[in-house]
Amino acid sequence: MLDKIAGWALRKSPWVCHFNGGSCNACDIEIVAALMPRFDLERFGILLQGSPRHADVLICTGPITHQIRDRIIRVYEQAPEPKFVVAVGSCGTSGRPFCGKGAYSVMEGVDSIIPVHMYVPGCPPRPDAITYAVLKLLSTLDPKLADVLAEFEKSIPGIETMVQEGEPVAG
Amino acid sequence: MPLFYVLIFPGFLFLLAFALFAEYFDRKVVARLQNRQGPPWYQPLADTIKLLSKEDIITHDADKPMVNTVPLFGLAAVAASFLYVPMWTKDWHFSFQGDLIVVLYLLTIPAFVLVLLGWYSPNPFGSIGTGRVVTQLFGYEVPFALALLAPAIAAQSWRITDLLAYQDDHYWFALITPIAFLVAIAGLVGKLERVPFDIPHAETEIVEGPMTEYTGRKYALLKLMFSTETVVGAVLIAAIFLGGPHLPWVTKAVAGTAVAPLVGFLAVVLKALFIVFLLSVIKAALTRLRIDQMVRWCLTWLTFPILIQILYIVIVGSM
Ligand code: SF4
Repeated sequence: MLDKIAGWALRKSPWVCHFNGGSCNACDIEIVAALMPRFDLERFGILLQGSPRHADVLICTGPITHQIRDRIIRVYEQAPEPKFVVAVGSCGTSGRPFCGKGAYSVMEGVDSIIPVHMYVPGCPPRPDAITYAVLKLLSTLDPKLADVLAEFEKSIPGIETMVQEGEPVAG
Repeated sequence: MPLFYVLIFPGFLFLLAFALFAEYFDRKVVARLQNRQGPPWYQPLADTIKLLSKEDIITHDADKPMVNTVPLFGLAAVAASFLYVPMWTKDWHFSFQGDLIVVLYLLTIPAFVLVLLGWYSPNPFGSIGTGRVVTQLFGYEVPFALALLAPAIAAQSWRITDLLAYQDDHYWFALITPIAFLVAIAGLVGKLERVPFDIPHAETEIVEGPMTEYTGRKYALLKLMFSTETVVGAVLIAAIFLGGPHLPWVTKAVAGTAVAPLVGFLAVVLKALFIVFLLSVIKAALTRLRIDQMVRWCLTWLTFPILIQILYIVIVGSM
């Protein structure tokens, strides 16, 4: 019973923290665009928090430079359980276009360091795709959100191809 | 019976429900002013439950007993002050001579809670936030206290129920002492650390200020502390400046009947929500000040006018 109530509360108020792991900043601007009044993520209870201590979902961008490697591990560990990670951008998902042969300073995406639950490829991805990814992450916890997702899929054709699921979400 | 009063109505449970509703109301109004849809009605409740159920991290260098007890202390102080603000009648059973001072004192404790939390968490943002809390305290606390004391001087009593009786016989204090009313609202904004005075936990500069390191239960308690303080402050200002349970004509018509407490209660809730509405409009319309601008602004545009207001009351009262 208590678990059920706690699960309900978690689905209804996912607070996000935005972490830049060495991206070119275009993805970050799209994330900020998704948080603007036009998309109004507060109607799903999503709030942007400054500190990973208060966040449930970490939104990470960028290919993760070697310098930021230790920091992202620390930020991930600072977030209280239960926590989820969304990797945004081609960089976040695979390190492209920066990594590859002869890349001396970057790693291959967020999932080379910490577990990732949802990928949003694109260079940069659209704000609605980022919104859709966070909702999809929540809908694995809450089947009722399927209606909202269906609405998204109807109004924006092809949006379900813009995200990819990662590690299974426990709980 | 006293236990029912303290714990359920109008005590702790009612205060929590009212505080969560006021928080929803505030967020919804801000969202509508920004042309958004805004959160659903259960949003503050879901936030609180989620925070209560999350992992509770205590940083390695923090002082454990202090960090564990202080957030509770803040919420308890605010909840205690709620007992002394009249909710539906001007013959409030908990009132005593000087309760205005006690409420003012109890409403100052949240600031000290933040100071202690900031000092005891080993985080630079916490220390900077603490410094700002204290600096800001000198800006708003003096005019806020003076603004609430101006009606008390006019009615010649330190007792909230006497102020209510005075407003029944004359006009609301918002009409008699308009400057004090405006200053009290501005002081409340500073007390609640809302925009434009949210300098101590400016998100874009110092993350969450003193609250940066606190997760789960403790953060939930701190958030509840602020939302209950919003409600207590709003009800207090409604009682002192807007006549509390008094409505012109209506109160006289229903006096002595069974519905009189109900009408008074609705009047207080609506007036408190009106104050919260004013705070939301201020939040949506303005941006954050710098700490030195804030202190200078408070000293020139709050403290100085309120002194003139008090001088006016004293001169008119002595004639
Ligand atoms: S995915 Fe593209 S837009 Fe996003 S950070 Fe990488 S290079 Fe920039």
